[in-house]
Amino acid sequence: MRTVGDLALAATRVLGADLAPGAGAAPDVAPGLAAYPSPHRPPIPTRTGAPCDTVPPMLDLRPRILSVGTANPPERWSQQDLLDRFKVTDPKICSLFTSSHILTRHLYLPEGAPEGGPLPESQGDLLRKHRRGTLEVAPKAVERCLEPMGLGVKDIDYLCCITSTGWLTPGVTALLIREMGFREDCSRMDLVGMGCNAGLNGLNPVASWAMANPGKNALMVCNEICSAAYVFDGSMRTAIVNSLFGDGVAAVLVRASERDERAFAPKILGFDSHIIPSALGAMRFDWDDEHGKYSFFLDRDIPYVVGANAEKPIGRLLKKFGLRRRHISHWIVHSGGKKVVDAIKYNVGLTDYDVRHTHSVLRDYGNLSSGSFLFSYSRLLAEGRVRRGDYGVLMTMGPGSTIETALIRW
Amino acid sequence: MYETLSFEESGDVARITLIRNRINVKQIRELERVFDHLEDVSKAKVVVLRGHSAGIDFHDFDPKEAMDIHGFNKWEKLVNRFETLDKVTVALVDGPCVGGGFQLTLVCDQRICVPGATFQLNEVRQGFLPGMATFRLAKYVGLGHAKRLVMTGAVVGAEEAKRLGLVDDVTADLDGALARTIESFGPMHTVAFTLARRLLNESYGTQIEDALGNFLAAQHRAISQTAFLDTLKAEHKKQ
Repeated sequence: MRTVGDLALAATRVLGADLAPGAGAAPDVAPGLAAYPSPHRPPIPTRTGAPCDTVPPMLDLRPRILSVGTANPPERWSQQDLLDRFKVTDPKICSLFTSSHILTRHLYLPEGAPEGGPLPESQGDLLRKHRRGTLEVAPKAVERCLEPMGLGVKDIDYLCCITSTGWLTPGVTALLIREMGFREDCSRMDLVGMGCNAGLNGLNPVASWAMANPGKNALMVCNEICSAAYVFDGSMRTAIVNSLFGDGVAAVLVRASERDERAFAPKILGFDSHIIPSALGAMRFDWDDEHGKYSFFLDRDIPYVVGANAEKPIGRLLKKFGLRRRHISHWIVHSGGKKVVDAIKYNVGLTDYDVRHTHSVLRDYGNLSSGSFLFSYSRLLAEGRVRRGDYGVLMTMGPGSTIETALIRW
Repeated sequence: MYETLSFEESGDVARITLIRNRINVKQIRELERVFDHLEDVSKAKVVVLRGHSAGIDFHDFDPKEAMDIHGFNKWEKLVNRFETLDKVTVALVDGPCVGGGFQLTLVCDQRICVPGATFQLNEVRQGFLPGMATFRLAKYVGLGHAKRLVMTGAVVGAEEAKRLGLVDDVTADLDGALARTIESFGPMHTVAFTLARRLLNESYGTQIEDALGNFLAAQHRAISQTAFLDTLKAEHKKQ
C-alpha cells in the first residue's frame, strides 16, 4: 500500500523536483513539499514564518481530519472516591492516588467488597464489561463526530476500530456495524493490542486509505474501556496502573476530497515512528497466571526512556518537511502520565503552555490510552486559537516501547 | 545584508552589534533573521549583543490607526527566542539602555556595561508597559526595586545597576571583560547549560512538586549526554 509520504514523493517525481524553487537553496526540504507556487491558490502565510507547503492543487488531495467526537461512561469518580469505595488504607497507595495529577476519571467500577477491594471480576466478566462499555460509549463518540458534518453511519465507507482493553472476535468494527447500522459494504480494520500509541498507528493507514479512495469517508474509533483491564491485589505495581487509566472513546472522520478544500480542517501531511526495542518489556499488558487475568506493567524508568528518544522521530518528521520546532504552533501529546509529559517537555523543548491540553485531559480523564490525544485535539479546537496555515504535531507513546508522530496543517 | 545592526561570526563567538539605537520594525525583522541563523545554522557557542538603545521608535506607530497588540506579542516571542537560544548570551552595554533595549539585555545570561551606561524602563511614564520586563525584572532585583524602576522610570547608573544585580560587571574594557566571561563558562555543555537556564528561569513560578518532576526530567536528559559520560570516564581514570 502506498503511504501519504510515498504519494507526495511520487507527485514530485512526476513534476521533477528541480521545478521547485528554493529546493536547491534549502537541501533540508523534502522535495515533495518544497515551496511550489500554485497558479490557482496563493500559499497560506504561516504565523510562525514556516515555509509554506504548496503542492499543485491537483496533487494536493491529502486527507484531512474533518471532525472529532468524544464520549465517556456516565459515572465519574475522584481518586478519593476510589479509595473510599474499595476501603484502601495503605498509606503509600493512598498517597499515590491523592497526590496524582489526575483529579477525576470515568470508569465502570465493580461494587466494593465488604472487607475492602472490589468484588471479584473474572477475565470473562472483564471481557463482557469491555463489550458492554463499548456498546454504550462508542456510538455516542461516533454520533458526536458525524453529526456536525451532517453525516450518518450509512455514509461511512471505511471503519477502523482501535482497542487494547478487550479481545473480541468478531471485533469492535463488526459489533458497531451491527449495533449502529453501518452499510454492509463498509470496509473495516480492527487494530488490537498496540496500546496508548495506537491512535497514530491507526491514523497512518486510515489516512492512506482515504488518500487512495478520494471522496470516501473513513472513520477511526479509539475505543478504550480501561476499567475492563485491571488487577487489584494491593501491590504498588497494580496500584500505579489502577490510579492512572480511565475509560473513553474518541472518533475522527478522515477524508481526502476536493470539496473540503475550503474546510477549516487540518491536512495530514506525514508520519514518523520510533521504536525502542531495548525497552520491549518496559510497558506490557500480559497474562498474569497468579490472578488469571491480563495485567498491565509499567517500568518506572519508562517515562525517561521515552523522553530521551522523543527528539528522534520529531526531528525526522520536521526535517522531512523542512520545518523547525518553532514553526509548530500546536503540540498534541498523549496524556500518558505526569512524568512522561515532563520528560517530553524537557527533551523536545516544549513549554507547559504547549502541553496544556495534555495536562488538562490527564487531570479530567486520566490516561485514556489510544484516544487520549484526540481528547486533547478536541480541546484545542474548542479553544478557538488555531489559525489557517498553522502546523501541529501529534505525538503518542506506548508499548514497544514506541513513539508515534504525525504532522498536520490547518 | 543588515541595516540596523551588524552581525559577524568567528569561531565560537557570534556578535550582534546594534547600529540603530531605536528599535523599529526593521530592526525587529533583522533580529528575527539573525535568530533564525543562530538557531538553524550557527555553530557558535556564545552570542554577544553589543550596543545601546533608546527603546521603541514611535515613528513606526501611526496615532491615527488603532493600536494592535499582536506586534507586542511578536516582540515578546522574539525576546523569548533570544532567552532560550542554545548558546551563552552576553550583553555588552556601552551607553544608555532604555525600554526595549533594557528588556533584551534582561534575557541574556550575563550583562556587562561601561561606567557611563544607564538603565531605564520609561514605558510606564509614556503610558504603556515595559513588556515582559514586568515578569523578569523582579527576579534580578527583588520586588521593591522592580516597582521603583518600572513605576517611576528611574534612571539607574552603572554602579547602582551592579549593586542591584542588574549587571555582572562594570568596566571600560568591554572586550577584556567579555574574554574573561567566555573563559568563565568553561567547557560549554550545551544541553546541561540550557536545561539549567530553563529550570532557573522557571524557578519562581513553579510549585515544588512540579519543579521536582521538571528537574528529574531535565537531569535524566543531562546525564544521558556524552558530556556527562566523558566526565565520569575522566574521573575514573584519575583514581
